[in-house]
Amino acid sequence: MPREAHIDPSLALADILADARVWKLKDTSVNLPPSRPVWSTGRSALDARLPGGGWPTASLVEVLLGTAGLGEVQLFLPALVECQRRAVVAPWLVWISPPHEPYAPALAQQGIDLSRLLVVRPASATEALWAAEQVLSSGVCAAVLLWLQGTDDRWLRRLKLAAETGGALCVLFRPERHRFESSPASLRLLLTQGEPDIHLELVKVQGGRPGPVDFQVQ
Amino acid sequence: MKLRRRSGVAERPATVDLFAPALPTKVTSVKPVPLIVSHPDPQPAPRPRSAQLWYAVVFPELKESEAAAMLQRLGACALQFTSLVSIEMPNALLLEIKGSVKLFGSLPDLHARMDAAWSGLELRAQGAIAPTALAALWCARVGKRACIEEAGALTGELAQLPLGCTAWDVQRLETLHAMGVTRVGELLRLPRSGLARRLGPAAVLDLDMALARQAAPRRAFIPRERFRERCDFETEIETVVYLQKALEPLVERCAKFLRERQAGVQALELRLRHRVKPMTRVRLGLASITGEQRRLSDVLEGKLNRLELSAPVRGMELLSGSLRPLSAASVDAFAGGISAGEAVPHLVERLRARLGETAVYGVISVPEHRPEAAWQRVQELSFSVTGVRGREAGMREPAVSTTGLQDEVPRPVWLLEVPLPLSAELQPAPHGGLILEQGPERIESGWWDGKDVARDYYIARRVHGARQGARWWVFQERRTKSWYLHGVFA
Repeated sequence: MPREAHIDPSLALADILADARVWKLKDTSVNLPPSRPVWSTGRSALDARLPGGGWPTASLVEVLLGTAGLGEVQLFLPALVECQRRAVVAPWLVWISPPHEPYAPALAQQGIDLSRLLVVRPASATEALWAAEQVLSSGVCAAVLLWLQGTDDRWLRRLKLAAETGGALCVLFRPERHRFESSPASLRLLLTQGEPDIHLELVKVQGGRPGPVDFQVQ
Repeated sequence: MKLRRRSGVAERPATVDLFAPALPTKVTSVKPVPLIVSHPDPQPAPRPRSAQLWYAVVFPELKESEAAAMLQRLGACALQFTSLVSIEMPNALLLEIKGSVKLFGSLPDLHARMDAAWSGLELRAQGAIAPTALAALWCARVGKRACIEEAGALTGELAQLPLGCTAWDVQRLETLHAMGVTRVGELLRLPRSGLARRLGPAAVLDLDMALARQAAPRRAFIPRERFRERCDFETEIETVVYLQKALEPLVERCAKFLRERQAGVQALELRLRHRVKPMTRVRLGLASITGEQRRLSDVLEGKLNRLELSAPVRGMELLSGSLRPLSAASVDAFAGGISAGEAVPHLVERLRARLGETAVYGVISVPEHRPEAAWQRVQELSFSVTGVRGREAGMREPAVSTTGLQDEVPRPVWLLEVPLPLSAELQPAPHGGLILEQGPERIESGWWDGKDVARDYYIARRVHGARQGARWWVFQERRTKSWYLHGVFA
């Protein structure tokens, strides 16, 4: 007589699935790597200069700023709206240590779903990096925006690794003075005030050509 | 004298005559029992089988101080016999057993089993069965092991009970004693109107409810189960790392406890006992209801990592908050531990455990003209997936509907918590560092709550100096004519 397979009903589902006798029709451990979509910047002049035609996900995008208020968040808002609308599983946006309070009416006006926006205010830069790493590697967020004054190369590599795991769009805002430091970011932008308009320069583009972009930021 | 004459009327049964105009039935949750009519009916209606059967158990020795907790425990124990248990303070339990008789074989079997359930206690228990809760309770109070099945037999069975079984107040019982009434039967023979006048309508209502003439709904007891487990250490623990190791089996048992009840918790408490110092309490809040072991242990770990032990720990205790039903949506077979619905709350909990409760928040837009009042921080986040589905299905509302803002009025991405006064060289002037690009937009509001504003808002650009090129949202106070920076167009 064949031995009856007995499974204790109080076991967690995870334990049952771990049992070698249970054959899983769908195995998540051998899943294909997530496809990496590209979010359009909403500006054709900029899209044309970026490999794939938009902001890369599962990677690190670094924005170097002359000063706050150059329309740096505005640059990413169309992509944020787009990825919130298209991401079915993870429509969350996480903003980590923004320099001021994100103004809800302005974001709602632009089409951001506020109920899926999380603001994180860590006490220190290390905590902020830790939070960013956690959020990125969790894979439940569509985009992570992070503001930092300064950080070292090692942490940036960790961030990039976490972003690659989670597949989110990760944007790091840093002051302009870090321009000449090395960075693992696959895309680096520089936003400065030119004469008379805002000036956008691609400092580093993996798979593309660096140089100034001719377009109106605001 | 009057009484004697009334009771002497032979052709009409006294009780039927006197109690005929019963109060209108107000509560309809219990099946109404047909009332006995006062006029002589040529064909009496067939006697209905009573819709309910109550078992009452009274613990006369129960101490008042521990009655509430004890009855909670006994009530949970009584749930093995029926799903409807009611607690009667100060010392009784009522069980509705009509539906349980068949399950347990027969009524005598069930009666014996229920009586046996209390034998393990060091308390005297008196049980009785009757078609109404009150009748069963009265029998049980005087220790009469009655088993009345028919509602029609109630009048006769209750007649011999001393009036003390009603647990009415002393004054009322004394009044009755002075009238020479000592038993329930004698009371039933009194005229209804006079009884209501002397004893108050509540007493008449009690009699009606005991005799199944009046519906008597009862509040069902819902057990308040919590997980609570203690563990004492053989040697004192001084480091958090060992504490976490020791906590693992407790968390595992807690998760099993929740799983067996298909329930989750939203709060946990960990108590650490020290030798001399008072107990350390670690309170944990979870972002959403959960019963998953990994989430529970992650939150505990995050909290413990930030904890500094004030003294070595001798033992600890894990307590859960009240159990909440788990929604079926949060179970995903193939997600491997944490399911998609739980991932975001889990992330928020981990962040909050390390960064602090207020460091992670959401923002909402408030329909209000004053910019500083047009938004709010929210700690309670909504993780429901349905909102997203609705959005996907095209049910998305226009983004400006709640703000009342028009699309053509731009608002800055950053708002300064407190408007920053602009120094003289920053003010918009012919030779100043600021050029007004758009405006004015007049915002004048808030006279009703004392925080009224009268401002002209402009969009301005820095043309000289360190922050050259930045677009600012500035305003001029209309009363003082002074300038402030309020937002940044980032």
